[in-house]
Amino acid sequence: MELKTLWEKTLGEIELQISKPNFLTWFKNSRLIERNPETGAVVVGVHNNFAKEWVQSKYHKNILDILQTFDNTINRVEYIVLTGEALEKKIFEKEKVDKKTHSEQQVGFIEFSADPETNLHPKYTFGTFVVGSSNELAFAASVAVSKEIGKKYNPLFIYGSTGLGKTHLIQAIGNEIIKNYKGRVRVKYVPSERFVNDVVWAIRSKRMEDVKNKYRNVDVLIIDDIQFIGGKERSEEEFFHTFNILYQNNKQIIISSDRAPSAIPTLEDRLRSRFEGGMIVDITYPDYEMKLAIIKNKLQEKNVFLSDEVCNVIASKIQRNVREIEGIINKLQFYREVRGEEVGVKTAEEVILNTVQQTMANINPNHVFRCVAQFFDVAISELTNKSRRKEVVVPRQVTMFLLRDMLGMSYPDIGDKMGKRDHTTAIHSYEKIAREITTNKNLNQKIVLLKEIINKNTSS
Amino acid sequence: MNVVILKNNLKEALSVLGGIKRENTQLPILKNVLVEAKQDAIYISSTDLEIGVVYKTPGKIIQTGSVTIPYTIFSQIISNLSFERVSLEMKGSSFLITADNYKAKITTIPADDFPIIPKVSVKHDQSFIIEQQVLLDALLGVSVACQVSDFRPELSGVLFHFKDKQLHVVATDSFRLAKQDVISKKVKTDFDGEFSCIIPLRTVQELLRIFSGKKQESVTLVMDDNQIMVYTDQVTLVSRLIQGKFPDYEMVIPSSFETELIIKKEDIVSALKLTSSLSNRLFEVRFEVDESMKYIKLISSSHEFGEGEYLLSIKAKGQPIQTSFNWRFILDGVRNIKTEQIFIGLNNEQKPSVIKIPDETTYTYVLTAIKSS
Repeated sequence: MELKTLWEKTLGEIELQISKPNFLTWFKNSRLIERNPETGAVVVGVHNNFAKEWVQSKYHKNILDILQTFDNTINRVEYIVLTGEALEKKIFEKEKVDKKTHSEQQVGFIEFSADPETNLHPKYTFGTFVVGSSNELAFAASVAVSKEIGKKYNPLFIYGSTGLGKTHLIQAIGNEIIKNYKGRVRVKYVPSERFVNDVVWAIRSKRMEDVKNKYRNVDVLIIDDIQFIGGKERSEEEFFHTFNILYQNNKQIIISSDRAPSAIPTLEDRLRSRFEGGMIVDITYPDYEMKLAIIKNKLQEKNVFLSDEVCNVIASKIQRNVREIEGIINKLQFYREVRGEEVGVKTAEEVILNTVQQTMANINPNHVFRCVAQFFDVAISELTNKSRRKEVVVPRQVTMFLLRDMLGMSYPDIGDKMGKRDHTTAIHSYEKIAREITTNKNLNQKIVLLKEIINKNTSS
Repeated sequence: MNVVILKNNLKEALSVLGGIKRENTQLPILKNVLVEAKQDAIYISSTDLEIGVVYKTPGKIIQTGSVTIPYTIFSQIISNLSFERVSLEMKGSSFLITADNYKAKITTIPADDFPIIPKVSVKHDQSFIIEQQVLLDALLGVSVACQVSDFRPELSGVLFHFKDKQLHVVATDSFRLAKQDVISKKVKTDFDGEFSCIIPLRTVQELLRIFSGKKQESVTLVMDDNQIMVYTDQVTLVSRLIQGKFPDYEMVIPSSFETELIIKKEDIVSALKLTSSLSNRLFEVRFEVDESMKYIKLISSSHEFGEGEYLLSIKAKGQPIQTSFNWRFILDGVRNIKTEQIFIGLNNEQKPSVIKIPDETTYTYVLTAIKSS
């Protein structure tokens, strides 16, 4: 292990054991200067004699213990005072090499990196967001929020399936607010996973106050993928209090999730009701025209040309995930560069088929049965038997719908799988569910959730 | 711990420790002083991690022990007491201060948490014993030339340079330089070599504060690579040293002058005070010696307010000369010369000029001229 990392790790441990003022006073500017592998001695440089005396008499044992956990060849620690020139010279010599390579690596990435203060990525703006019927409500609400923070829709809760632009939209709100208010407001964007990590860290190191300050000291708090917070009780509680404080002080809260608050099973009621107290908007799957618009937009962004026919094919074949569109375009561009010829409809279809099938390949009918049975809490055998009990009829129809929709199985096959039913039963079931999900929101919700479960469990 | 101590002794101790910076500290315990009752005496210490001071004072020790208590409260109580004897006692975790009709109970922090004030081992070769007044005069004489900012860290302190059995005390801010030599018979040491260290200005100020007006005795200085310890029987001060390379001061001091003149200290002080009222923003005063070599003319002029001239009779030899100085820098140098007559060696703009005692070289004040644009 390098001296620098070794010492950083050691300091990390020491920091947990002693109070902050003590740590800053005695260990500031300290460093590991050398290690002699033969004698097992290391030399620690501290910034003055007071620190030397103190560290030596009070923390020597801790330091040795910690160093030994990382490197058991160390058996002795010596301390010296390093100040002014001597220190700088030593540091300079040691770090000259690191620094150089480091700074060179940094060049070129600056444009793409997120702002460390707000965590917002500058590439997400309202300007690059394609608006269509599936997301116009969400977009309008977002624009309204960015103009008047904390007043109109608070909290703003945006949900929708993966790859439909939630993150884009909420980050765009943040960027727009910064632009509109010109630095007079503090914006913070965090994925909920980061929030949970912070809370865990705070509990471990007993620094809850730091986390509280970090999140309560903002004017706009943007939390992405809130569904992951569900079931993490301490984080939920912390978020609940943070939420209340921000809300009471008229600070804007923006939340995204992959499903409605009511559909996050592990979310506590008090949080759910608070989310429902604001504006809830969903982003649904884009229609054909919108997909086409997104494709055109992406092409322009990437400076790629594809013929209209190819665009049409992509728009009609890609059903759900907008992110897949980007992937397909990248692939087609790659094909064109490698083969040096224009991409035709046929190539495009092949590429799409490959991409889409990859995600479908692992799903088999039995897996669908299992997931549906578990979801509706019925036995798998009940899905295929002849029972006409109300509780099993809907799950049975949903199963058939999913087999058709997700696996593209033929109707006779489906009928066969479902306990030797007629293919017309399968047709009827599919059409019934397909019709109902357009009107019955509850059912639509369930289907979306089910698909996710099915997809998720295969991939893991 | 249980001791009885004279109030005036305690007051003296606390005033010696008063120069330690206790504000803006990250460690709350640095706001406290450490009170230790040992077999021989009572020791009171304070530190800000740059300077540490330990004061030893006699008292009647009934029981030994140690504790830390807040300085401000302790010193307020003691300075307002009108009784002669004070009893200090530990009871549980509280510190009791008792006098005839007064008692106070102060919360404490255990002595274990108080930083250890590092000691420089006295056996070290580089130890010097100097008469207190000689040390104070040297520090007082040169510290005016210290750089007050942190712009160049090595200049924000006083150089102690020991060479050929002589101690040279030097300070500079790169516009002027002051040097005081302490001749060999006034420095007692076994050390026989060359050695130098830079003592921070704040430490110098503390030394001046602590030792001024004290009864005359000898002061011992011990240095190692990083710190200096200055001590008498009663007080011990430990301070960090500034690391860095002090400019070669011997190169700076000119050996020849275009014009050498002897002038009455009183005259030049009043001349500077008069002319300075009309000087410009650079505090510029022009010195002119004409061909007669009998007079020096001090001229000041400001665009806004007008101009003034002052004529002084002098004894001079050399060339006629015209040069300009910052009058405040001149005054700083002149004030440090205690004789009636002052020697001024003037040079043109390229070379610095010198103020010193006539026919003596122990104190030298070098300053550069203001370059006319």
